[in-house]
Amino acid sequence: MSAQGLAGPGRHADHLARRRRVNRTMEILAWVAAAIAIAILVIVVYSVARKGASELNLNLITKDPIPFSLTNAPQGLANAFAGTLVIVGFAILMALPVGILVAIYLNEFAPAPIRNAVSMVLDILNGVPAIVIGIFVYGLLVLGHGQSALAGSFALACLMLPLVARATMEVLALVPNALREAGLGLGIARWRVTLSIVVPQTVGGIVTGTVLAVARVAGETAPLLFTSSLVGTQTDWSPFHALQSIPVAIYELSESPDPADHARAWAAALVLLIFILFASLGARWLATRSRAKMAAR
Amino acid sequence: MPKLGHSIRTTAVLAAVAAAFAALAVGAGAAPATHDGTTLVGAGSTFVAPLVAQWITPIGAAYGDELQYSAVGSGAGVAAITGRTVDFGASDAPLTPDQFTACNGCEQIPWALGATAVLYNLPGVKNLLHMDGPTLANIFMGKITTWNDPAIAALNPGVTLPSTKISIAHRSDNSGTTFNFTDFLSSSSPAWQSAIGTGVAVNWPVGSGGKGSSGVAAIVSSTQGAIGYADIAYALHNHLSYFAMKNKSGKFATPGLRGMLSAAESQTTPNADNSLSIVNPPAKYANAYPISTYTYVIVPLQTQKAPDLKKFLFWAVTKGQAFGPKLLFEPIPKSVLVVAEKAIAKIQP
Amino acid sequence: MTSLDIAENARRPFTGRRVRFGDIALQVVAGAAAAAVTVLVGLIIWKVIDQARPALSKYNVHFIFRVAWNPVLGRELYGAGSFLFGTAITSLLALALATPLALGVALFLTELSPRFLKAPVTALVETLAAVPSVVIGLWGIIVLGPALRNHIEGPIHSALGWIPLFGTPGAGASLFTAILVLTIMILPIVSSISRELILGVPHELKEGALALGTTSWEMIKGVVFPYARGGITAALILGLGRAVGEAIAVSQVVGGGVFIHANLFGTGDTLASKIAESYQGATTKLQTGSLVYLGLILLVFSLVANVSAQVIVRRVARKHGITRGGRA
Repeated sequence: MSAQGLAGPGRHADHLARRRRVNRTMEILAWVAAAIAIAILVIVVYSVARKGASELNLNLITKDPIPFSLTNAPQGLANAFAGTLVIVGFAILMALPVGILVAIYLNEFAPAPIRNAVSMVLDILNGVPAIVIGIFVYGLLVLGHGQSALAGSFALACLMLPLVARATMEVLALVPNALREAGLGLGIARWRVTLSIVVPQTVGGIVTGTVLAVARVAGETAPLLFTSSLVGTQTDWSPFHALQSIPVAIYELSESPDPADHARAWAAALVLLIFILFASLGARWLATRSRAKMAAR
Repeated sequence: MPKLGHSIRTTAVLAAVAAAFAALAVGAGAAPATHDGTTLVGAGSTFVAPLVAQWITPIGAAYGDELQYSAVGSGAGVAAITGRTVDFGASDAPLTPDQFTACNGCEQIPWALGATAVLYNLPGVKNLLHMDGPTLANIFMGKITTWNDPAIAALNPGVTLPSTKISIAHRSDNSGTTFNFTDFLSSSSPAWQSAIGTGVAVNWPVGSGGKGSSGVAAIVSSTQGAIGYADIAYALHNHLSYFAMKNKSGKFATPGLRGMLSAAESQTTPNADNSLSIVNPPAKYANAYPISTYTYVIVPLQTQKAPDLKKFLFWAVTKGQAFGPKLLFEPIPKSVLVVAEKAIAKIQP
Repeated sequence: MTSLDIAENARRPFTGRRVRFGDIALQVVAGAAAAAVTVLVGLIIWKVIDQARPALSKYNVHFIFRVAWNPVLGRELYGAGSFLFGTAITSLLALALATPLALGVALFLTELSPRFLKAPVTALVETLAAVPSVVIGLWGIIVLGPALRNHIEGPIHSALGWIPLFGTPGAGASLFTAILVLTIMILPIVSSISRELILGVPHELKEGALALGTTSWEMIKGVVFPYARGGITAALILGLGRAVGEAIAVSQVVGGGVFIHANLFGTGDTLASKIAESYQGATTKLQTGSLVYLGLILLVFSLVANVSAQVIVRRVARKHGITRGGRA
């Protein structure tokens, strides 16, 4: 690897010592870099956990906010929790079917050039910044009609779609071809083979992909600023109204001068973070389990 | 295949859950909410937000209507009502002719009277330091950079000012409070008028931007040596110090009810478009606080929600004013109230 | 067999078979979904251009580099220059800070870490990746900003204030705070992709180098990095794209300044954060159009970054595919 030449053993030893020193230095640098990164991590997570835990109480989920309250009446962010459930729920309803169908089309039907083209389109969609999606949905659905939770759901669905589609494509590709051929060999129609034999094998992967996509969009603020931000303080479940959401609530509270607002923001941030973590970990556990099932077959 | 049945069952369960959720949500939306009346959705000025927030419960009690108000800034409020995204907008800056055209059949109605306080954070220094327009303009232009500058010291003889650097906080969003504040600076300082001018947003030469009056108050309260501007209610709510501002008669007026009332005397009858300008009033209004302003509600002349909207607005300009003094909003004078009520009556379904 | 082959084969047993109505129905419905997605992307691009039209027609390309943002009525003049500068400074410096840290973590996890630390540290990195940007922004406003201003920016300015980079600190919100926030956001992405790339280097190559007597570092420098270079570049591009597109966390901590200046401790603004701050309250069509024009620039940039990353990944896959095939 390294040409030592025909110099004497002394030169070689020096050279080796230097190489060992360089190696040691880089090793130390790597440890230092890792330590810095880990420290940052711990600081951020610890901050959120500590500040959030102190204000975490049932009021957060059951009481509505009281802006500019002149009394000390208990308040919380109930409207934001309700709104997030509605908005994310409808986003899943919009993104899931379309994502699965696109994946089915690309994996089972599309000729190679179309598959490459639509794959690239999915990647492009994945790369569009969330704030540009917000501008787009504002121009498409909000201008002239007013804000609504559904418009917010549509924006989040645009962000979820590539993730769901890609996850579904990956698990569809994992289904052994023998299964398809066996079904066709039995005389079953192709559409039945796809829907009743192939797709059910992929449910685990689809759920994983959806959960990961939900974890990604649950904390998205920018698209909701454009579509569902002019909201009231009372808890509302109607998807046709603009509803408050947890990320937007945190965003607004974070810029307030009131320490009580900050405390509520931290608590909501902690709940959001815990939810996202559970969703991500749960999804990964599901993925490992279904991969093991596939391998065992 | 047992595995197949299991997977189908999972899919079926998931689909059922999703459908149930959808039904619940739509059902909840269609079902009558906790109130029997309509929802009145408004957005705009953060300046008037503390007052409007006090109206939510009484309006619900009086008429059964749910009042929703988002403090997103005067500019956003005007944009929202122009796009009919909301039922009413609120702005401290009166609409320009172009904005009237864009809004397509809107009118503005003065519905509260308040003052923009200039806030500062100097621990150990007393409240109500003296300040005047030209010096303030120089501070916000970045020409005066420390608190113990001779210009500030000259206005405050006998006060020991620290050598802390001045950190400026201004609005990052389109704001009627900015309009009011820059209006005052422009009328006090020709240099400001030519270099920067008046607007809901301007080219601030220095400083950090905060979103909403809350954002500015947040910057000032968390930064030693900071100076900013917001409605006086935000200074009180967050225990921030504010200046006594020199008016044209030479007096250092405070942003209290007396100062606003005196400033309001400088224009008792609104203009044709219902706007009033009471910034930096002439010297004969000796107690006037020179950065006082009316704030307006912007409504369409024709709307489906006309009956409920009119009930709300009539209440706001009469009974609603009683909630003002606690937050340092002076009830609007009789001469303005008369014009306001005439304007409200114009709203048709 | 790649998934492409499998799909191809799935279609082949099909020729000559009777085509049922259900088959056509499924293909049409699924194909419609794929078409809808394509239309969606086209619609996004078209709608953004459409909403930017007032500024596009008035300013053309001169908008892109003009350093101006004057919203005062009667003196309106807009340009993207200061925001391009802000985006460039914050994203590039964040990438510069994040890359060594991320590579360090990746190397640590793959080569250096004792076994008992691997799982927890990996979990920690994934946790950071899961934190939403608004929460990082919250932490930035309340914890990082004031801490930086009081304990770092202040002393550095006192000591080194003659260097324009270290000018007067503002009120806690600054380009510097934004850079650190973006670094924290890029770190997990680059680190996890790098880790997988390093793990993906064929064992024989690594062992071969070590067998020849190289030190660990020389093996990494001479074998791992060249092998994974394409993938790491793609990871960096993805990280950069993330930083450039980040609107919320940056808008919370950057301070909303409009000028180009060298002071890292002063305020600034990026393309994305300017849109987040000002779009709701834009008063005139020209201002709205200008803000969407900023979004258009952002969109073009992210498309280019995305496609470049794709191209690199594809080229790398091809190169390594050939290499592996040759070995076999």
